[in-house]
Amino acid sequence: MSIDGVSGRTSYIGSGILNLRSQLDTLTEQLASGKVSNTYAGQGAGRSLALGLRAQLNSYSAYADTATNVNTRISVANLSLQRLVAVTSSVKGAAVSAGSTLDNTGQTAGQKTASLGFFDSVDMLNAKAGDRYLFGGRATDAPPVASADQILNGSGTAIAGLKQVIAERLQADLGVNLNGRIGSAVPAAPASQSSVVVTEEELTPAPPAAAQPFGMKVSGVSTTIVGATVTQPATLPTTVPPTPAVPPAAKSMSIDLGTVIPQEGDTVKFTLQMPDGTSEDIVMTATTTAKTPMDANTFLIDPGNPQAVPPVAPSSAVTAANLNTALATSMKSLANGTMAAASAIQAGQNFFDQPPMRVGGGPAFNASTTLVAGTKADTVIWYTGESDTTAGQTDSARGTAVAQVDTGTTVQYGARANEQALRTELQNVAVFAAVTTKVSPTGTPPVTALNAGDKISALNQRIAQNLAVIPGTQSIQNIQADFAGAQASIKSTTDRQNQSKVISQSLLDSIEGVDNNEVATKILALQTALQASYQTTSDLYKMSLVKFL
Amino acid sequence: MSLGDALSIAMAGLRANQASMSLVSSNVANAETPGYVRKTTDQVQTNTGSIGTGVNIVGVNRELDQYILAQLRTETSGASYASLKSSFLQQVQGIYGNPDGTGTLESSFNALTAAVQALSTSPDSASARIGVVNAAQAMASQLNSMSQGLQTLRGAAETGIKDSVGVANNLMKQIATINNQLQTNPLGGTSTDSATAALLDQRDQYVTQLSQLMDIRVTTNSANQVTVFTGSGVQLVGNEAATLTFDAQGTVTPNTTWNSNSALSSLGSIKVSYSNGGSIDLTDTLKSGKIAAYVELRDKTLVQAQTQLDQFAATMASALSDKTTTGTPTAAAAVPQGYDLNTANLLTGNTINLTYTDVASNTQRTLTIVRVDDPSVLPLPASTTANNKVIGIDFSGTSGTVAAQLNAALNGANLNFTSSGSTLSVRNTAGFTTIDAASTTVTQTGLTGNGVEVPLFTDNGKAYSGATTVAGAQITGLAQRLSINTALSADPSRLVVYNTAPQTPAGDSTRASFISQQLNNARFTYSPQTGVGSTGTPFTGTLLSYMQQITSQQGANAAAASQVADGQNVVLSTLQQKFTATSGVNIDEEMAHLLSLQNAYAANARVMSTVNDMYKTLMQAF
Repeated sequence: MSIDGVSGRTSYIGSGILNLRSQLDTLTEQLASGKVSNTYAGQGAGRSLALGLRAQLNSYSAYADTATNVNTRISVANLSLQRLVAVTSSVKGAAVSAGSTLDNTGQTAGQKTASLGFFDSVDMLNAKAGDRYLFGGRATDAPPVASADQILNGSGTAIAGLKQVIAERLQADLGVNLNGRIGSAVPAAPASQSSVVVTEEELTPAPPAAAQPFGMKVSGVSTTIVGATVTQPATLPTTVPPTPAVPPAAKSMSIDLGTVIPQEGDTVKFTLQMPDGTSEDIVMTATTTAKTPMDANTFLIDPGNPQAVPPVAPSSAVTAANLNTALATSMKSLANGTMAAASAIQAGQNFFDQPPMRVGGGPAFNASTTLVAGTKADTVIWYTGESDTTAGQTDSARGTAVAQVDTGTTVQYGARANEQALRTELQNVAVFAAVTTKVSPTGTPPVTALNAGDKISALNQRIAQNLAVIPGTQSIQNIQADFAGAQASIKSTTDRQNQSKVISQSLLDSIEGVDNNEVATKILALQTALQASYQTTSDLYKMSLVKFL
Repeated sequence: MSLGDALSIAMAGLRANQASMSLVSSNVANAETPGYVRKTTDQVQTNTGSIGTGVNIVGVNRELDQYILAQLRTETSGASYASLKSSFLQQVQGIYGNPDGTGTLESSFNALTAAVQALSTSPDSASARIGVVNAAQAMASQLNSMSQGLQTLRGAAETGIKDSVGVANNLMKQIATINNQLQTNPLGGTSTDSATAALLDQRDQYVTQLSQLMDIRVTTNSANQVTVFTGSGVQLVGNEAATLTFDAQGTVTPNTTWNSNSALSSLGSIKVSYSNGGSIDLTDTLKSGKIAAYVELRDKTLVQAQTQLDQFAATMASALSDKTTTGTPTAAAAVPQGYDLNTANLLTGNTINLTYTDVASNTQRTLTIVRVDDPSVLPLPASTTANNKVIGIDFSGTSGTVAAQLNAALNGANLNFTSSGSTLSVRNTAGFTTIDAASTTVTQTGLTGNGVEVPLFTDNGKAYSGATTVAGAQITGLAQRLSINTALSADPSRLVVYNTAPQTPAGDSTRASFISQQLNNARFTYSPQTGVGSTGTPFTGTLLSYMQQITSQQGANAAAASQVADGQNVVLSTLQQKFTATSGVNIDEEMAHLLSLQNAYAANARVMSTVNDMYKTLMQAF
């Protein structure tokens, strides 16, 4: 700076000193702050780069926050999944190994295990990290799964839970005649009197219209009786609505003995489809040993009457009638035993669908022929998280929570309780926990000890099978693997960022920082220069002829 | 009578010595007086008879080097200009803040991006939502206060001009007065008497002071009177001083600008008026000195800094609020092919964007049609390059239909427009043009139902759409008015919820990710008027890279100004030193002079005493 006022000489000498002084001030400030300058101007040519580096460091710290947050969430979700896996395996184990001994509440020990496991599973799926529910897709602000008690028992009298849905389905599956909506008969003349026809009670319309969903369905028939004719159930040909070319008919299958008399040990196998899609066979074995009552699944070959005069030959028609009677008993037993378990499994499937499917047209559901969608006004909606379809598109569950952990790196860690693996776990454990079986031979339907035993073992078998990992379908382990992948990605990104951060920081320091040694040296040099200037200036002014006159 | 001669010569010597002594004492006394020029006696011998020669002091000499003085004045102007500019730019640096501190544009922006990142990680978190609202608020406030700071500096420049003009008028009057005194001096202006020399010292000092304020040229006439001109040749002082006037304006905002047409100018103009009533506008003709620095800061430097902040604010606001929708292509079989565009929601300043290929030259061109609602602002200022045309079209209906205006304006482009209601259709012209893409860019004003775009920032409550109206461009001063959308601060959940039917789930990070993407990674094109990029190749980059550009540009400007100022001061100091060496008082020299004068006086006295002795001898002889 230039100094005005006094004369030139003073001014330029003063300017020099002031200049030194201001340099010293700048250096002192640098030493104190550790920074080269407190303005962009003073930072020199690196100022633009420094700005970019600070933004980068800022983003690293923002990404680090994200990584910490997301890691915590994934860890919490993982704990939930581990617990679900444990529940699955303990319930599966119970289903496989536990007996069929019913306690006073109508449940086996295995079902009790399932009940505890179910409450646990619901808690796990309602897990929170901070305030965030982890298994509701993007709906992170409310528990995604209804409470376990509500799911099982419903809410109040108007809103049905799983137990009620199972009971209603059982009524519908058993039908009016408590026989699984299927019957057998020896047809009236002129049809062959030596045949047995198994017929569904309801008419099956031509496709694409679907048959009513309840009860057992005829599926196939076969026999070892040489010469007997079997007729498989026919599928009606597809017709173009509205006028069906073929009128609706009740589906049936039959065996016609013709004139053949079965041999001891010959069998007739009727295959029936259960409500849950599984198939059960009834194998009727021909026997010559008459008993009252006949052993289950056996029918008496008509011996004829060789003693009579004239001797009466064995009649295929009588044998067929015997078969019909024995089959009716077997089918009824199947309906009240195994099918009851299959019905519960299917009811579970219906209940856990979105929306839940209920038996239409009740109460007194035994004649119902439709499934209707339940609403939250009449059925507990078990999953209230985000739907897995958005605008008709299937939306990946993992993609419902996406975290940016680096400029170009995102990790997906969303999960939905209605994902296939989680739903299967919850659904089967719930059904296992919900089914009760009480022996009551006089009740409606009558349940004999045999029926109850069949039902429990059918249930055990189905639950064990459903909880097993089926190749090609999603398992909980798949979800865990996804999470592990996300965590690995976060870790490698964080590691890389930590390294980059050190590099960026040291580059930034080299731009905006100062070398203390250098500054200190400069200060010393300036101090010396300034002292010398003061001294010489003072000497210069002293050294005047004025003093020597 | 040679003894008498000797006596009178000795007397003359004593008189000369005394005069020289008084000059020495005056030099010593004024050694530190600004503007004082060392004086020396103008001593001549006088003929006093046949043999002896007397001595006479006929005047004083000013030891002045005119050439150095002229140089000194030029550099004084330059140094004042450079120092003032540097000092203002240092203050601008103060506004930009400490790079490592919190009150900077970058720290606010970084805080905003960090908050948005946190929101995209935890969209359901109320605190993350409020965090974004607060960070956005801080970002807006930062721009507001920086803009305010720049305008305050512009106001200071306006006041500075006023003060300087006052000082200049006073100096000019003083110079004129001295010019007149020289004219009326009975001894004439070139007289070497000490009174005249003092006047000249005084006047030169005034001229030098005037040179601090503006660049001047000085001519001296034969009567030692000076005429002062501005650098551009306008006479300021002769025998009369012209009067500079400056109509300072109290209000300085981004929208007030200086214009050479005083009807359009909303800031003060420096005018020189003469007693005959004439006046000349000097505002943009001054090249150096304090006043020129003030004018440059007020009308260019600080305006550009403001424009940069405005551009940053505008790009940031538009990046989040503008939704680009592709037009509907015509059915596959339709002839001619083209696009239909919905122009219903276009706000003033919103655009329709077309990309088409000129078939003959196989050149792809873009056309941007800007909605304008006031035909008086048309045509828009040209920002058009050959293959990238921007035109404004009046949508108010007073200039005919949009299609008709477009067809008229783009006659040569072979584009075929028709409109029906709010649908604008554009079709190929077979063999001439093929339309490759068509879209509309619309500023969203609502918070839900329009996709992920969100008007996070507003122009003081209004949507920012880049409108141009009679009052000027909406972008001007936006940085000062930028505010967070009050609907968002009232309901921060809208940072996440972009749809109410169906309701966006609380954990949906789509909108947060969009904001993050726009702020961090999206690239925009910035107007070359901000001093970054050029018309031919405008600067394109992320918000961060633009901020890097403007911040470092301001920093570099300040650093350069400070270096120039330092350099100028070195030049000035050197000249001052040189000037002092020739024209200043050197005490040692004066002391030496004093010694010799003392000796000379003694010698003269000795001569007198000897003459006296000789007279005595002569008298006693008789």
